[in-house]
Amino acid sequence: MSRRNWTLVGVALLVGFVGFAFATFRTTLTPYVSFDDARAAARTVQVAGALEKQSTRYDETAEALHFALVEAESGRTLPVRYHGLRPANFEDAISIVAIGSWDASANEFAAQKLLVKCPSKYQGAEVKTYG
Amino acid sequence: MSALASYYLPGSVALWCAVAFALAALWGYADLARGDESARPFARRAYQLFALALVLAAYVLLLALARRDFRLDYVYQYSGLDLPIRFQMAAFWAGQKGSFMIWLLWGALIGVPLLRCCGKQEAPVMGIYLLAQLGVLFILVRESPFLMLDHAPADGQGLNPLLQDNWMVIHPPIMFIGYALAAVPFAFAMAALLVRDTREWAARAFPWALAGFLVLGCAILMGGYWAYKTLGWGGYWGWDPVENASLIPWILGTALVHGLYLERTRGRFRRMNLILAALVFLSVLYGTFLTRSGVLADFSVHSFVDLGISGWLIALMAVFLALAAWLLGTRLRSVETAPNVDPPLSRGTFLVLSTTSILVAGLVVTLGTSSPLLTRFRDQPAQVGPEFYNRVNFPLALLVTFLLSLVPYLTWKGETPPRELLRKIAPGLVAGLVALGVAFTLGVHSPLHLLFVGLATTALVTNLQKFVAKTRAGGLAAGGGYLAHVGVSILFLGILASSAYDESAKVTLVQGKPVQTGDLTLTFQRFLPRAGELKERAEVDVVRPDGSLWKAYPKIFVNDRTRQLMVNPAIRSSFFADLYVSPMEYDPGEPADRVGRLELAKGESAAIGELEVRFVGFNLEKEGNALAKMASGEQVTIAAMVDVRRGETTQRVEPVFRFSRAGSTEFPPIELAGGGRLALGGINASAGTAQLLFEGLGANAGRPARLSLDVTHKPLVQMVWMGIYVALAGGLLALVGRVRQLRTLAAIGK
Repeated sequence: MSRRNWTLVGVALLVGFVGFAFATFRTTLTPYVSFDDARAAARTVQVAGALEKQSTRYDETAEALHFALVEAESGRTLPVRYHGLRPANFEDAISIVAIGSWDASANEFAAQKLLVKCPSKYQGAEVKTYG
Repeated sequence: MSALASYYLPGSVALWCAVAFALAALWGYADLARGDESARPFARRAYQLFALALVLAAYVLLLALARRDFRLDYVYQYSGLDLPIRFQMAAFWAGQKGSFMIWLLWGALIGVPLLRCCGKQEAPVMGIYLLAQLGVLFILVRESPFLMLDHAPADGQGLNPLLQDNWMVIHPPIMFIGYALAAVPFAFAMAALLVRDTREWAARAFPWALAGFLVLGCAILMGGYWAYKTLGWGGYWGWDPVENASLIPWILGTALVHGLYLERTRGRFRRMNLILAALVFLSVLYGTFLTRSGVLADFSVHSFVDLGISGWLIALMAVFLALAAWLLGTRLRSVETAPNVDPPLSRGTFLVLSTTSILVAGLVVTLGTSSPLLTRFRDQPAQVGPEFYNRVNFPLALLVTFLLSLVPYLTWKGETPPRELLRKIAPGLVAGLVALGVAFTLGVHSPLHLLFVGLATTALVTNLQKFVAKTRAGGLAAGGGYLAHVGVSILFLGILASSAYDESAKVTLVQGKPVQTGDLTLTFQRFLPRAGELKERAEVDVVRPDGSLWKAYPKIFVNDRTRQLMVNPAIRSSFFADLYVSPMEYDPGEPADRVGRLELAKGESAAIGELEVRFVGFNLEKEGNALAKMASGEQVTIAAMVDVRRGETTQRVEPVFRFSRAGSTEFPPIELAGGGRLALGGINASAGTAQLLFEGLGANAGRPARLSLDVTHKPLVQMVWMGIYVALAGGLLALVGRVRQLRTLAAIGK
């Protein structure tokens, strides 16, 4: 092959790679969405809210934690299920970010991961990841 | 926030002296640049004084920490009386102000030997290097660690318990040496453009770039080790923004080191290297901005809060970006570079391709790390998950391994015929095929992964062969690069195995109940209390398929001072795989013997839990006549007749109370049908009442303790560490070789 052709192959590969990188970027992005959008979304999303007081319930047999989040702007609530024990200081959390997807059959948001932000005297606030 | 009164004078004076000396040195170097040779000693002396002033400032801060002088806001915020002295000292870099301080301190110290290594371009190189120092110094003066409180608190707030680890004592300072070294190639490159003489800078900057690359690599290794061994983040790498902030300069530094090698040997990449040198330094500034400005606070496990320095950091970035863009934009075209005449199958072409791949990998990580910033403009900020980095970097790693496997036996001009090349790499190819077969039988079925295993093994063997050959011919330092590539091949195999073939399960264990997960049986035996230095830990029996028992002791405890939940994983390492048990949460449960108490008169009823209880009356004949026994001084037994109704069923029980004249009493509990126990705890003879004690009733029957764990089987993690050690050793040898070359060059020049 001539030098010119090699260059063309290189450019084609590079363009292909850039396309691949951006496509992956889009699919692996977990967008922050509103509670309403979370109910409609089919993909993994993240929602943020405050814990609704006294909404926490631990299901012993299913080993699942159920609770509800309250959205700051709209005041709407979203029921959330998380498989695992209740994180420490859960009730003190300033805000909770749940990453997961809407489970229409259970009418609940199934969280794979929780980011629990607690007040801390270090660096303002402390974020802990669960899941 | 307490009122802040003023600045701690000794430290503040030292900082301001540093500013003055830096400006003086800049002035001196400006004169020198204009050709006034007599300005050189002045500029050098001013620079040395600048470094000395920073050493003094750092010493003052260290002294204040050692003396636990809590009048200083910084000392108050990050240290405390209960800290051991090593952590008290490490509090120096626990906060943002202190980390800027140590960054600047290293930068200033590096400049001292640097100013004698610049050759003819001392004035522009040191001028630009000083500008970089001044930028950080201005932030430090504004956000001074010497700010004082208007009172002297008795104790500080203590150091974040997550940071109270021996790695904290060495990891951050080494990281900042790497950051500080990034400014050196930048200064050389920009100075070369400034004076329009780009022939010499690559040779001079090479050892510094290599040193920075090695030190940063070392620091990243330590960070990964820390995260893996003690923090229990589940792995050695989580693609967290703070981790990435140190990885990006390192990847770009890898590209720079290879590019400089290419320039030194083939005269190619002259323009690219100037860009790379700029990118390495700019990526350090960008990473600092990302992690120190609070823009990623919601996305990182290392949450940093906005100190109000975002504006300064953006300004700093903008200034140096503008400087680099101006110099590169206006003068890059005039840089002469050797034409591309290498055939495809030559070392030159392969090096260009691998350097480009590494650069692209650096840009990919930058893109991912910036995702919360990029998406902010359109929508709510969002972050890409680790899959992004893994997926996108995989093809690049595949390409690099392919290039690595052939490169040892390619010549610069590619005159080796393919047949001979094949003969030379035959042992490597055989090894690669064997590894591929082994991997397949072990369950690796993805064709791309198999290809990767084969190529990486081939690369390992060919580079090892070449390293041995080179070492025999020209001593250890001659083969450093090949040894580094051996390490990279090992590292790649370890990364693939431990990240793509790990098996992770989240299990919640109820105390005493064995749970099967994968091929392991786990039983949470008990929770052990704190014993001296040893923190609270859980004892978990892990029975492996071969029946062997491993007692794992993952630690999970609440820090006394802060109520923060802390975890340390338990790791069982072998060469082939690590078993990683990381605690996530512990629920101590509630003991079953919660006690309820009723005092009832004859015929009276009361409810407790789900029970309806009626005290019918005393029975004095339960174990012989009580009154007669009392008279004779024997042990007396009195029973209470109690009707206990639970739901529809009523049970008559007669708990007893025994007492002797000597004062001994006993009141054995009676098991109640349906759960719980009842005892007659005492008798009030004058009131005619019975004290009924209940245990373990209804809702209070207690919950068993639970422990939730992340149990991960990670194959070949040891190869990750081993690979990095070997790569670093290789890099160190290469550095020795480069420094020798430079000395020889200098000797010839003279």
